[in-house]
Amino acid sequence: MRRHAKFVVGGAVIAAALGYMIYAGVTQSAVYFVTPSELRAAPVAGKAYRLGGMVEAGSLRWEPRTLDLSFALGDGKTTVPVRHKGSPPDLFGERRGAVVEGSWTAEGYFKASLILAKHSEEYKAPHDGGQPGYKELMRTLKSDGR
Amino acid sequence: MTRRPVRWLLPLSVVPLLALLAYGFRVNPHEIPSPLVGRPAPGFALQTFEGAPFALEAQRGKVVVLNFWASWCRPACYEEAPVLERQWRTYRERGLVVIGVDIQDRDEAARTFVREFGLSFPNGRDTAGKVSVDYGVYGVPETFFIDRQGRIRAKHVGAVTDEAFRTNVEKLLADTTG
Amino acid sequence: MIPEIGGAAAMVALALAVWGAVAAAVGTRTGRPALVLSAQHAALGVFVLVTACFALLTYAFLTFDFSLRYVAINTNLGTPFYYRITAVWGALEGSIILWAWMLSLYTLIVILRHRESAQELYPWVLTVMLAVMAFFLLVITVAAPPFERLAPVPADGRGLNPLLEDTGMITHPVALYLGFTGLTVPFAFALAALISGRVGDAWITMTRRWTIIAWYFLSLGLLIGGWWSYHVLGWGGYWAWDPVENAAFMPWLTATALLHSVMIQERRRMLKLWNLSLVILTFGLTLFGTFLTRSGVIASVHAFTQGSIGVFFLSFLALVLFTALGLLAWRWDALRAQGALDSILSRESAFLLNNVLLVAAAFTVFFGTVFPLLSEAVRGVKVSVGAPFFNQVNVPLFLALMFLMGVGPLIAWRRASLDSLRRNFVWPVALGALSAAPFFALGVRGAVALLAFVLTVFVAATISVDFVRATRARKRMGERVLPAMGGLLLRHNRRYGGFVVHLGILIVALGVTGSQAWSVQTETTLRRGEAVELAGYRVRFEGLSASEESNHFKVTGAFTVSNGRAVGVLQPAKKFYPQETSPIAGVDYRLGLREDVYLVLGDFAQDGSQATVKLQVNRLVSWIWIGGAVLTLGAMLAILPERKKPA
Repeated sequence: MRRHAKFVVGGAVIAAALGYMIYAGVTQSAVYFVTPSELRAAPVAGKAYRLGGMVEAGSLRWEPRTLDLSFALGDGKTTVPVRHKGSPPDLFGERRGAVVEGSWTAEGYFKASLILAKHSEEYKAPHDGGQPGYKELMRTLKSDGR
Repeated sequence: MTRRPVRWLLPLSVVPLLALLAYGFRVNPHEIPSPLVGRPAPGFALQTFEGAPFALEAQRGKVVVLNFWASWCRPACYEEAPVLERQWRTYRERGLVVIGVDIQDRDEAARTFVREFGLSFPNGRDTAGKVSVDYGVYGVPETFFIDRQGRIRAKHVGAVTDEAFRTNVEKLLADTTG
Repeated sequence: MIPEIGGAAAMVALALAVWGAVAAAVGTRTGRPALVLSAQHAALGVFVLVTACFALLTYAFLTFDFSLRYVAINTNLGTPFYYRITAVWGALEGSIILWAWMLSLYTLIVILRHRESAQELYPWVLTVMLAVMAFFLLVITVAAPPFERLAPVPADGRGLNPLLEDTGMITHPVALYLGFTGLTVPFAFALAALISGRVGDAWITMTRRWTIIAWYFLSLGLLIGGWWSYHVLGWGGYWAWDPVENAAFMPWLTATALLHSVMIQERRRMLKLWNLSLVILTFGLTLFGTFLTRSGVIASVHAFTQGSIGVFFLSFLALVLFTALGLLAWRWDALRAQGALDSILSRESAFLLNNVLLVAAAFTVFFGTVFPLLSEAVRGVKVSVGAPFFNQVNVPLFLALMFLMGVGPLIAWRRASLDSLRRNFVWPVALGALSAAPFFALGVRGAVALLAFVLTVFVAATISVDFVRATRARKRMGERVLPAMGGLLLRHNRRYGGFVVHLGILIVALGVTGSQAWSVQTETTLRRGEAVELAGYRVRFEGLSASEESNHFKVTGAFTVSNGRAVGVLQPAKKFYPQETSPIAGVDYRLGLREDVYLVLGDFAQDGSQATVKLQVNRLVSWIWIGGAVLTLGAMLAILPERKKPA
């Protein structure tokens, strides 16, 4: 009987410790999915978000030398300015859906640490691989000689 | 003493988990919440393969199904073409307009596609690429369901099924306030 | 023709599997061996038919038969020959055929191995394996038929996902599936034991080797998956705690626990209920894993597809869990332990703690994976937990497990006396503690990294202590050193195989620690002739070139790399596939023992005058793959047939 008690107590201690670790882990790394409207309604500076929306036409700025990428994500009702350091991922462009992960800054823009992309099997894309005139690109590169 | 009922907790304990996993089925991935939904459909005009003009603004008062396709889009566009034709024939009497817009394609290949499937609803090429940009078309096929007031009410990504077509169209046809 | 024959073969196989499952069960209940024999023949028939399906599908791929929808989606006229073969299992329908084929192969081997030796259990094992087989065949015939026709027949197919055009694609699914399907065997034996009432130790001794083999393939599959992620996906990492990755990791964790707890049941006749539950849990996690990857219930970067298939898998999972746990509840009374835990300081205790930690880790991974679903169901808010959660909770668990790797094999059974503790552990503990200072001096500053290194020294020392002591004992009996060592390895291959596997895991852990703690990266845009420096490496952009491959266009960048002396030219590329929305990054790298130089080509100017690159110097990553090789050797040693000691 006493042996059993030792097991039960030991088991409870371990379960409690694990529970605490999980709780701490979750609260520290939880990331909330929001739309631009939801974010605008109640932005919390420093909180981790995943923001999904459409990249507004005319908002995309990419500076290769400084690696500054900025654009606006909208959902038809509001837009959120987003800034990211690093080259845009391949599945990214104006008038396309995008999901970014990062946090809202006190300066009034969303700082994206990650831009996420999703592949779909049943969905087929334009011939040009999403980039205008890539055949021209091939031709210029080939004639470039290298 | 309490051993007998306690043991049956074991198989019962998985019920909440299974319920949770079943809950995950509720989301339908083909109904993309597009920011365009609820907004006025961008107007456009094009010439069909028969040479007739088509303008979206002229369709006000009717329910419009706008389908973006291409002849190289396999197999999805090939699967939905018969569906579109079939549903078009069913609903045309009730004031439905189906318009197919062919994007980034070659004229001959597109005409062959239309001929092969015997498509009787108007189809035309988006020669300047403007229409697909205005609708934020990302890939093919994409289908937009536009109501009588000219607002986009739903966007379907991937091959349209009879079921999806019917559900969306019936809802919009029932709305006779336009 | 092919679609019709293939479809028919699958249906006949399904019928045979159902017949076999029923026949074996009825045959053993009513004492009619003829029925059991008939079930055996049915299993053979299933194997032949599924092999035929597989062969027909492969043939369709090799001959560009685009009248099959599955072929049209996954290849096009430009797909290279060998990838046309691997494309067979590259998407949902084909992957189920691969699974079914392996299951039928395992069933056949089980028949050949056990039909004589496991009289009471054997028919029930057959029933369970054929029932599982029937489920997968049902999926093939109803939910995900690979032989569906496409009309009109397109002139060209869509093409294989370019990320899958890689050698990893040939081996990763194969290894992983061999692991998953292999876990069906211990499960079948467990259920057989419960149904027949023979819940003694026979079932577990018979399945020990099966568990090791399945576990090994699972480990291999996970490592290859990491390698594939590392050298193809272009983000410089090998593990992302993605739901699909977690789906394979969870059964691995519980299978590892099983490998250890088996030894306790063998020695002390304890933990019977625990072991049965563990086997059921492991198989359940396997099914959960396939459910996760195929149902789209949890969003993942590499989810396959949705549809009715999710419902199939969930229903089967429910059926399996209810049946298995119900049987367990029914046989509860017979599962009393015959031994008991005598002391906390004992091998039993160490192994038990090992199990608890592994199951805790599996639970953590599970919780983190379903958390988005849970939060949405409970609070209506979509929340996800990323890598930080998994790392934060699991790292302490894994460090504790590393410690146990050193303690477990050496500590005495039943009750370890203070004297034996001293004899076994004084050196390893001392060496471990002392090594902290030199590591610190070498630059290992982080607490976790330091602890990982110190524990590695500790465990390596315990293995040496054991090996040296055993060799010395043999020398005293007259053997010379080398034959003594060889003899030890062969005669006690289970033990030393296990040690080598532990060493392999330690090496993997070192690689993981190093890469997490000390890898660096930078991103920059270079004009032609410009260079970037990182961690002693200098990378200079030379220019771009374009080429046309069989099924894609490629833009390749040339970068000379040096670190004092010339390292070479790296050529990361961007591949443009007509059927893909966006270009696929091709990574180039130089692997090394101490570090890897890793380069990804990003944006570039159309005239080739400038390019944006991501440069990484990843430390100790190669040790992960080396650890995998060591693990392989250990597993092979452990599987060898036991040599009976003379007299």
